[in-house]
Amino acid sequence: MENKNGSIGTVAKKSISSLSSFITTFIIIAVDVLLGYITYQLASMGYIPLTVVFIIIILLISAAFLIPKLSHLRWIAVGLSAWLLFSIFPILFTIYNAFTNYGDGHLISQTQAIEQITNQTYLPETGKAYEWVAYRSDDNDYLLWVKDNEGNTFIARPVESEGDTRIFDVVTGENGIGEIDDEGVPVTIEGYTRLNRILAATDQNLTNIKFGDPEKTIQVRSPSEAAELLPLYEYNPDDNTFTNQQTGKIYYDREGTWTARDGTQLIPGFTSVIGFDNFIEFATSPGLRGPLVTIVTWNFIFASMSLLLTFSLGLLISVIYGDPNFKGKKLLRSFLIIPYTIPSLITILIWRGMLNPNLGIVNRMLESVLGISPDWFNVSTLARIAILTVNTWLGYPYWMLVTSGALQSIPSDIYEAAEVDGATGFQRFWRITLPLLLVSVGPLMIASFIFNFNNFNLIYVFINGGPPIPTATTTAGYTDIIISYVYNLAFASGRGVQYGYASAISVVLFMLIAVMSLIQFRFTNMWEEVGENV
Amino acid sequence: MKKRFILLAVILIASFVLGACAPEATPEPETEEPVVEETEELVEEPEETEEVVEPTEEVVEPSASIRIWADEQRAPVLSELAPDFLAEYGVELVVENISGIRDQFSVAAPAGEGPDIIILAHDQAAALVASGLVAPIDLGPKADEFVEEALNAFTYEGELYGMPYATENLGFFYNTDYVEEPPTTWDEVYSISEQLIADGTVQYGIVLAGTSYDAYPWMTSQGGYIFGTDENGDYDPTDVGVGSEGMIQFGEMALQWVEDGILSDNTDNTTAKSMFLNGDVAFFMNGPWELNNLREAGTPYAVAAFPDGGQPFMGVQGFMINAFSENILLAQAFLTEYVATQETMLKFYEVDPRVPAYIPALEAMDDPDLQAIAEAGANAQPMPAIPEMGKVWGDWGNALSFILNGEKTPEEAYTFAQEAIVAAISSDTTGMINLPGSWQSTVSDCEWDPACADTAMELGDDGLYYATFTIPAGDYEIKVAHDGGWDTNYGVDGVAGGDNITFTVEEEGEVQFIYDPETHVLEIVQD
Repeated sequence: MENKNGSIGTVAKKSISSLSSFITTFIIIAVDVLLGYITYQLASMGYIPLTVVFIIIILLISAAFLIPKLSHLRWIAVGLSAWLLFSIFPILFTIYNAFTNYGDGHLISQTQAIEQITNQTYLPETGKAYEWVAYRSDDNDYLLWVKDNEGNTFIARPVESEGDTRIFDVVTGENGIGEIDDEGVPVTIEGYTRLNRILAATDQNLTNIKFGDPEKTIQVRSPSEAAELLPLYEYNPDDNTFTNQQTGKIYYDREGTWTARDGTQLIPGFTSVIGFDNFIEFATSPGLRGPLVTIVTWNFIFASMSLLLTFSLGLLISVIYGDPNFKGKKLLRSFLIIPYTIPSLITILIWRGMLNPNLGIVNRMLESVLGISPDWFNVSTLARIAILTVNTWLGYPYWMLVTSGALQSIPSDIYEAAEVDGATGFQRFWRITLPLLLVSVGPLMIASFIFNFNNFNLIYVFINGGPPIPTATTTAGYTDIIISYVYNLAFASGRGVQYGYASAISVVLFMLIAVMSLIQFRFTNMWEEVGENV
Repeated sequence: MKKRFILLAVILIASFVLGACAPEATPEPETEEPVVEETEELVEEPEETEEVVEPTEEVVEPSASIRIWADEQRAPVLSELAPDFLAEYGVELVVENISGIRDQFSVAAPAGEGPDIIILAHDQAAALVASGLVAPIDLGPKADEFVEEALNAFTYEGELYGMPYATENLGFFYNTDYVEEPPTTWDEVYSISEQLIADGTVQYGIVLAGTSYDAYPWMTSQGGYIFGTDENGDYDPTDVGVGSEGMIQFGEMALQWVEDGILSDNTDNTTAKSMFLNGDVAFFMNGPWELNNLREAGTPYAVAAFPDGGQPFMGVQGFMINAFSENILLAQAFLTEYVATQETMLKFYEVDPRVPAYIPALEAMDDPDLQAIAEAGANAQPMPAIPEMGKVWGDWGNALSFILNGEKTPEEAYTFAQEAIVAAISSDTTGMINLPGSWQSTVSDCEWDPACADTAMELGDDGLYYATFTIPAGDYEIKVAHDGGWDTNYGVDGVAGGDNITFTVEEEGEVQFIYDPETHVLEIVQD
């Protein structure tokens, strides 16, 4: 940068400029090395899409700092990287998932599934199962003492071991065998240590060692059993099929599950791309035909009423203590902010307890004073009122803070002029305060609306969407909003995990909200123009 | 200036060296992480490790380690085993207290980050088995030492996938201040409650802690059920009993009791608990997980079997092994040799009272409450571990809410719930009779596809299914499949899941298929 001023450059300046470019280079190298290291780690763990994102980020950052033409990107390179990583990548990943059957039964990759199925073994009819005890030498060589169900015992060496005799009888004095205990197990074998089952099992490799004759190998299968095992399924990579070695049955890949032609399936299945199936399932599910109209309507009512109530209450309070003659307003203000400082989750739970129809303080008081005991949780209208009350309690301090700041920014000479013109207090509020206030807090109101539109926490924690809608063919409640309803559809009540299906629903929801936001952006623009005119 | 330059040069060179080293240091990134976690775990439990390490006077270098995910009740017991296990076998136990084990495990295990062992309830485990995330367990001769029902609950397709350690079911709790002898029929419950309410002792006679699982023993005592069973005793998802007569009868009974002021109309779990703890009700149905709370609260209580032979659901808690673990054999050995002992099993039971599934521990159990809960669960039905159960909960539970708040009659509520559940379980292809086989490719794009719309059969007036196609000459194979899937299919001679039927078409022409849904025999008629 400083080089452009080279005509007046002094020696000192030049050295500073070379120093600064040096530091820049150094930082870029450091950052690239760090990111490169992360990329390498990700690639080695097999997270290919994420690796690609990191490579793009490295290129972006390096380009922004090294190519002079792109230097304007320097200031937002970090932001862009974060945007790619935390916003764009998850969105693309979700869209990808929406087209797969990722979920219960299809959680692992094809490679993992192939490995698991290939590892399945069976005991052929002529094969035998044995009890076993392992012995290990200092060089980590193993001997396996085995006993079949008829009581015959012998000792087997690994197939790879040197020498011809891989199987020998258990006789004291031969092959270094010492005393033999009641079970027929040698207590000592020279050069080897007898292992108990847990110690033997600490060697991860033990199950892979084949003992005995090459034609008839014995493998440790479990802590209590070793057996002459054969692999049960053979994988044919050419047409992606498995063949059962016992029955000859062939299993074909059908949307992530190897299925034989008689309908039997191999578990596990794997994640595979299934096209638009998830979307079709969602579009044709009884969930959509059901209570969606009720839920969407309530969703809009909930979001707008929440906004209206919190805004009005907050504004009312800030107008009241905005009066310079109001005594003790600092103290009052501190008290009124308290609901905002307590974590909302706790507040919701406290309200839930207070409104409990049998034990809650609200109903006890109502009952002793008015003799009524409204059932806040089971009557739809009451539940909706309750949830709006709680949300108003949670939200008004925010608007109190915002509006009290905004009120002070309204120039006082306008009010003076209005007073001269003989405007009443109400007129001043309605004609001056509110319009000017809306200009500055309009965008915040939209943000608040969108927040409440997706206010999953409140709905879910308060009464989990209840009370249930009697006519609904799917589980849905009167206070359910779209997001909580969809959550119930995809995950709740022990349904297991259906990431693919949930992703498809998210994509649909994303589009819905995107359209809504676009419309609201038009509103924002309108307000901005009003602001410019003022 | 020079000094600064040298400093920068040194840093730069260092960064290059680091950069060059970095890839070399990374070939085993996975192994690095467990080490970090192990040390963290050790730091978390300083008391226990100190206690044991001192007497042995030597620090044992672990030769291997087992990572376990357990919930907050089991984690402390397992951590307690760790020092002994390390001293005896040189194997370190890393116990992590995790909530929501199933969902976290289903993400972590395939990524190679999962623990070696997890603790889960059997109905949650079914999906993990289907996804291939857990490895079969061979208990060997130890299998005889476990309660048979508990083992069956963890058996899928003939393979055992979990080592059970406790069973849990609801029991019938009553307040011993008010009730001396536990009632054996619901009529007695009613009359005792009526008397207590008349005396002003209690507010209500009984309260429900929920509308589905928590009321199930009452429902079953009236003949209600969720899923019927097939000839093998497995749950049959096509036989839904939510709308059964017994269920409706229960609904009418509950409604009547609420109107009579015997049953509280509250079904909120927390409220129900506090009502019983405060002595506001005399009867209450809940599980062993509530025992510690009840004991702390000091409410005088006792547990009995359910009136009129009501059957609770039984859940089984057990250990499962990660199929992606590198220590499958070691994990198995740990479970069969170390956990499946009376000593360890009794420790679990002391910390968190549940009925042991390990027979020696069950016999040694001296807790009268648990013995009573075990008796209440003697006729228990295992919690259905089939995926269809997930679609039952919501509508099933809502039905009772509708009855109690007067929005629906019991019959309407349970019939409606039944229809909604059946609709949710079945899909578009329910009722479809199809003819999957090699022949399908000659008339459609399908082959061996039981959901192929082009080859579905049509129901005739005589109750038989018909389909006619023009098929070119050749040898073909065919089967009959119900409901667009392979779960119900018939082969030669109408045998369920039997061999493929073969047929030959000598020359291209019309072939008529006739299927009798009673005998399941498929008739193939050619001109």
